[in-house]
Amino acid sequence: MSAGFSAVQWNRRKLIYDGILIAGVVLFIGTFMTLGALRNPPTDAPAWIGLRIKAFGTCAFVMLTIILTIGPLARLSPRFLPLLYNRRHFGVLTFLVALVHAWSVVDWFSVQGAMDDLMNEMVASPGYGKFIGFPIKALGLAGLSILFLLAATSHDFWLAFLTPRIWKALHMALYVAYGVLVMHVALGVMQEDRRIFIPILLGGSFALVALLHIAAAWREREAAQEHDGWLVVGPPDSIPDKAARIVTAPDGERIAVFRDGNQIGALTNVCAHQNGPIGEGCIVNGLVTCPWHGYEYRLEDGCAPPPFTEKLATYRVRLRDGIVEVDPNALPLGTQAAIRIG
Amino acid sequence: MTRGHRTFHRLLWPVLALIVALGFTTALVKRPPPDPPADSAPKTRVDVLLPEPK
Repeated sequence: MSAGFSAVQWNRRKLIYDGILIAGVVLFIGTFMTLGALRNPPTDAPAWIGLRIKAFGTCAFVMLTIILTIGPLARLSPRFLPLLYNRRHFGVLTFLVALVHAWSVVDWFSVQGAMDDLMNEMVASPGYGKFIGFPIKALGLAGLSILFLLAATSHDFWLAFLTPRIWKALHMALYVAYGVLVMHVALGVMQEDRRIFIPILLGGSFALVALLHIAAAWREREAAQEHDGWLVVGPPDSIPDKAARIVTAPDGERIAVFRDGNQIGALTNVCAHQNGPIGEGCIVNGLVTCPWHGYEYRLEDGCAPPPFTEKLATYRVRLRDGIVEVDPNALPLGTQAAIRIG
Repeated sequence: MTRGHRTFHRLLWPVLALIVALGFTTALVKRPPPDPPADSAPKTRVDVLLPEPK
C-alpha cells in the first residue's frame, strides 16, 4: 500500500485474467478478418489493410464498451467483481488494439503514397466547420490520446504519485474518450456503410453503458430512515457477519456498517486507494478488505495496519432498542468508533 | 468525495451522455439512405408503358 512503491505483483489470477483477455482479442480479430476476407475477398494491399482497420477498430470499441460496463455491473452484483480485479490491464490492452487500428490507417495512406491527403485531412480539412463530414480521424486521434494518457498512468506508481483523488479524476476521462469514439464511429463508418446493424450495435452499446450506470446509481440513491438525526441500519443480525450493510445519508454519502462477530463499526464506503466500494468487501483476518484491490483497514478506527498509512473516515455507531444506528456526521480520519454488542 | 464533487459529477456525466446521444441521433438522421436492392431498380419508360407479358 502506501508504505512505499512496489513493483506489480503477478499472481495466478492475474495471469489467468490476462490469458483470457489476450485469447479473446486474438479470437475476435482472427474471426473478424477471416469472415471479412471470405465475404469480400481483398484483392490488394490497401484492401487487406482496410480489413485490418475495421477488425482492430471494432475490437477496441467493443473492449472499451465492456470496460465501462464492468464498474456498474460490479455495483449491481458481486458476481462481476472478478472482472474488476484486473481492469487496468484490460484498459492497457484496449489502448494497444486502438493503436494498431490507428497505425493501420496511416499504413493505408502510406502504401498508396497518399500521406499528404492524410495530413491535409487532419490539419486543413474544410469539414471542421461541418457536422456530417467532420474529420473523423481527428476524433479518433483525440480518443486515442486520452487512452494513451490513461494507459501510461495506469501503473500504481502514478496512483501514488498523483494521489488517488487526482488519479481517479484523471481516469474518469475514459468516459470522455468513449463519447468521442462513439462520434468517431457515428460520423465515420456509420455514414459510409449503410447497413442497419451498425447504428443498432453502436447505439445499443452506448445505451447499455448509460443504462447500467443509471441502474447502479438508482439502486444507491435511496436514503436510510432517520431517528434523532441517526440513520437506522437494522438489528445487528441484519448485518451479515464479516461483511457490511451500506446505508445512504441524506446528503448522498454512503456509509458501510460492518459486523465482525459482536463488534460493529461504520466506515466511509470510499476506499482510500481508488475510491472502491469498501462496503462490498468483507472482513478477512480481522481487517476490512476492499473488493477492488485488497486494501485493508481496521474496523475499530479505519486505519490500515502498520506499516501502511491509509486512513478512512469513521462514524459513531449505537445500539438503540436492539437496532443499530449510525451518526451520518463523519469523524476525523482514524478516529476509534466501533462498538461491541451483547 | 465532498458534496461539491458529487454535485459536479451528477451534472457533468448526464450532460456528456446527452450530448453524445444527441450527436449520435443527428448522425443517424442525416445518414444517407441505404442503396435500393437491385431488383427494385426503377423501370425504364418503355417498361412502364408496355403491358406485362401474359
